[in-house]
Amino acid sequence: MSMMHASQRTTESLNTTPPTAHLMRWVIVATAPGLGAMTFYFGLGVISNVFLAALFALGAEALVLKLRQRPLQPALRDSSALLTGVLLGASLPPASPWWLIGIGVIAAIVVAKQLYGGLGQNPFNPAMVGYALLLVSFPTYMTLWSPSQPLVPENLWAQISGTLPAATLDALSGATPLDAFKHKGEAVLASEFWASQPLPEGTLNAWRNVALAWLAGGLLLITKRIISWHIPVSMLVSMAVLATFFYASDPSHFASPLFHLTTGAAMFGAFFIATDPVSAATSRRGKVFFGAGIGALVMVIRTFGSYPDAVAFAVLLMNLCVPLLDIYTVPRPTGQPKAQQHAKRGDSP
Amino acid sequence: MPAYEFPGGITPPERKDRSNQSPLRNATLPAQVILPLKQHSGNPAIPCVAIGDAVQVGSLIAQRDGMVSANLHASISGTVTQISDSAITIDADGLDRWQVLPSLDWRSEDHQAIIARLDNCGLVGLGGAGFPTYIKAQMADHQRIDTLVVNAAECEPYITADDLALRHYPTEILEGAQMVARLCGAHQIVVGIENNKPAAIHALKEALAHVQKSDCQHPVSITMKVIETRYPSGGERQLIKKLLNLDVPSGGLPADVGVLCHNPGTLLAALYAVRDGKPLVERIVTLTGDAISTPGNYWVRLGTSVETLLQQVGLANQQLHQVIVGGPMMGLPLTTLDAPVTKTTNCLIAATREELPPAPNESPCIRCGACESVCPVQLLPQQLHWYARAENDATLEKFHLFDCIECGACSYVCPSYIPLVQDYRSAKQRIRIKRIESAKADHAKHRFEFRQARLARENAEKQARRQARQAQNRQTTDSAKATDSAAPMVDLRSLRIAQTAAKAAVRKAEKNLARAAAEDPSQRHDDLETQLATAQENLKAADTRLAEARATMAQQESP
Repeated sequence: MSMMHASQRTTESLNTTPPTAHLMRWVIVATAPGLGAMTFYFGLGVISNVFLAALFALGAEALVLKLRQRPLQPALRDSSALLTGVLLGASLPPASPWWLIGIGVIAAIVVAKQLYGGLGQNPFNPAMVGYALLLVSFPTYMTLWSPSQPLVPENLWAQISGTLPAATLDALSGATPLDAFKHKGEAVLASEFWASQPLPEGTLNAWRNVALAWLAGGLLLITKRIISWHIPVSMLVSMAVLATFFYASDPSHFASPLFHLTTGAAMFGAFFIATDPVSAATSRRGKVFFGAGIGALVMVIRTFGSYPDAVAFAVLLMNLCVPLLDIYTVPRPTGQPKAQQHAKRGDSP
Repeated sequence: MPAYEFPGGITPPERKDRSNQSPLRNATLPAQVILPLKQHSGNPAIPCVAIGDAVQVGSLIAQRDGMVSANLHASISGTVTQISDSAITIDADGLDRWQVLPSLDWRSEDHQAIIARLDNCGLVGLGGAGFPTYIKAQMADHQRIDTLVVNAAECEPYITADDLALRHYPTEILEGAQMVARLCGAHQIVVGIENNKPAAIHALKEALAHVQKSDCQHPVSITMKVIETRYPSGGERQLIKKLLNLDVPSGGLPADVGVLCHNPGTLLAALYAVRDGKPLVERIVTLTGDAISTPGNYWVRLGTSVETLLQQVGLANQQLHQVIVGGPMMGLPLTTLDAPVTKTTNCLIAATREELPPAPNESPCIRCGACESVCPVQLLPQQLHWYARAENDATLEKFHLFDCIECGACSYVCPSYIPLVQDYRSAKQRIRIKRIESAKADHAKHRFEFRQARLARENAEKQARRQARQAQNRQTTDSAKATDSAAPMVDLRSLRIAQTAAKAAVRKAEKNLARAAAEDPSQRHDDLETQLATAQENLKAADTRLAEARATMAQQESP
């Protein structure tokens, strides 16, 4: 029984707040570059998303804990609900209406997390459950990625409060690069598509810079040892490999690997979503398979599926595979016989 | 020599400078000692003194029971005042008279004599588990040993007992190592020491140079390997990996890869037992922690109460939060200060609340994997935690629960403050109890066999006595007739074979028990002890029958 603890030598204040909160808060801090870049390109609607989602998440967590007659303080202080809220908020289109965010948060916190038993018990990534539900149920609102916006867009308040007339709503909607490419049509060659200037000025740039900002935040997490490199690296590598394969086989119809890595939720998903430890595989080898599986599914759905982006679905599908991965990737403890002898003995788990 | 790596590990604050700044001192002789009968792995010793007996330092007061057990000696001279089920109390007469055994020269003496001396002197491993040293010395009978590893890593924070022992007695410890190496047939000695003990390393270097210069007929080469400081490099398996790049197989012993590990303190005590005839009655204990004013290392008589000892070094009662026996990673908090110092007490930490605060309430596991990355055995601690809480024993074993060395690195880094090692310990205990339950029928069978063997032996002895009487009668009456001598001839041969078989059975039982006990020193191995006793009874019976047949033969031939 260890009488000493790693936290005792880092910070005195940690004796009052659990180090789990410390981890969660670091992840929240690391979202700053990504959120900053998004706000810069898509306006304050990003901040309103995150703020509302975080607020609702804390509220929903408190409500369920109260119903479950669990102590509120420790669970709220561990910041896990806050983090789920921030991540869900960050993945929604800017200035989403409040009710949309509310439904997403309820699916994430109440259904995906608390109904399964709370922190540490959920088999699925809560933020992605919320996102996937919204994507399937409210596709119109979920594709409202208006092109680059001034910091304070015109109809910001009306949008958030959900009072914007439908006609104006349509005018606002714009395609993301992935969307546009997906719907370019079979007959159009990739080179023709890009030559036709399909996207408003600067859209590609905006998405690339946002991806780079998420990458920066992710690297911060890795250097602070909050997350391990296994999942993000394996996910991005598997995406890159598959994208290269498609691109090399037919560059006139498939997008380049760079395009895939710098658009959509690839970077955000790799560093902030797929790395959720609770719903990911546990062993290092398992994490590599887990990340690679997400990357492959993302590429398959983006290329052959009907959704332009697929991080949420890919993560949820791989969450399903975690128990299997966990069983087959138990590392060989020091001193245990090598794999083949193991199999011979017939007790391989 | 290059150092190899074991996976995982942590670097907790060392806090060793609190106790390694002052030289080794002698603790004041206690007025009373309480000597527990079980200070070692295996069965408790059986008292062989009575209340009121006068004893001297080194007098045998309790004898080992079975093979895995150890003798116990008085650690002060005085009078036995109390004998309970678990301990013997001696009140001091203040004279400190010693009773030592004759000195043996380990370079020329027979192996068996030295092993018997280690046994008589109650030598056990002083590092922690308290495994009887004489059994370890006999390992070479069953397995080839190439290397003796002197485990001077002392990787746990706070503890400096080996450090100070190495600084003060480097030549003696190396000589002890030579002696044990000779016993087990090792042809090299490797001293593994962490680089945070420069003074001890320096002392060892000088002693090594001196030894190699003066004593040319050294049979065994000694090398010292300084390794990086990382907990738990002092774990037997981790150290062997680090020094020799050998993997001790799961469920196996270092002897399986030709290695024997000894703690420097044990080697020192072994030398004292053989060279000076001194039984194990005192040891070096690190007294440290913020709640005492003169921390350091002390020679302490076994059985001294922790409270008396700490009071000598300036215990501040109002600041004391808890006393920990052993290190902060693997040690246990004392529930009462009346507890005595035993053969395995290497360190006492009188900690204040600020220095080792109680762990906050645990929060749920978020499967962050921090535990996995520090596990020196490459287990999946978070999965084990899950299954341990669910009492899913079959899966626990599949996830190699029994490979866990309980080092506590996972608990140390767990951001949710989950007492992981505690969970594993209780799960292991639960599974062990289950195994014992399921082996109960076997044990009953073995006990029955033991009884049969004992009766057979007694019969054989009775028979022999009767035979002897008859022979005497025959001699006196001189009415002996020449009976047919062919039958006893055949008998003698089959009896000799039976005796050899019985001897082999004893050796096999000893080997099984030694293995089981070394693999799991914290447990009792009653069933294997019974099997060994049965084999011993059978051997005695066979011996008796053979002797009897030989006597008859001699009788028949002599007239």
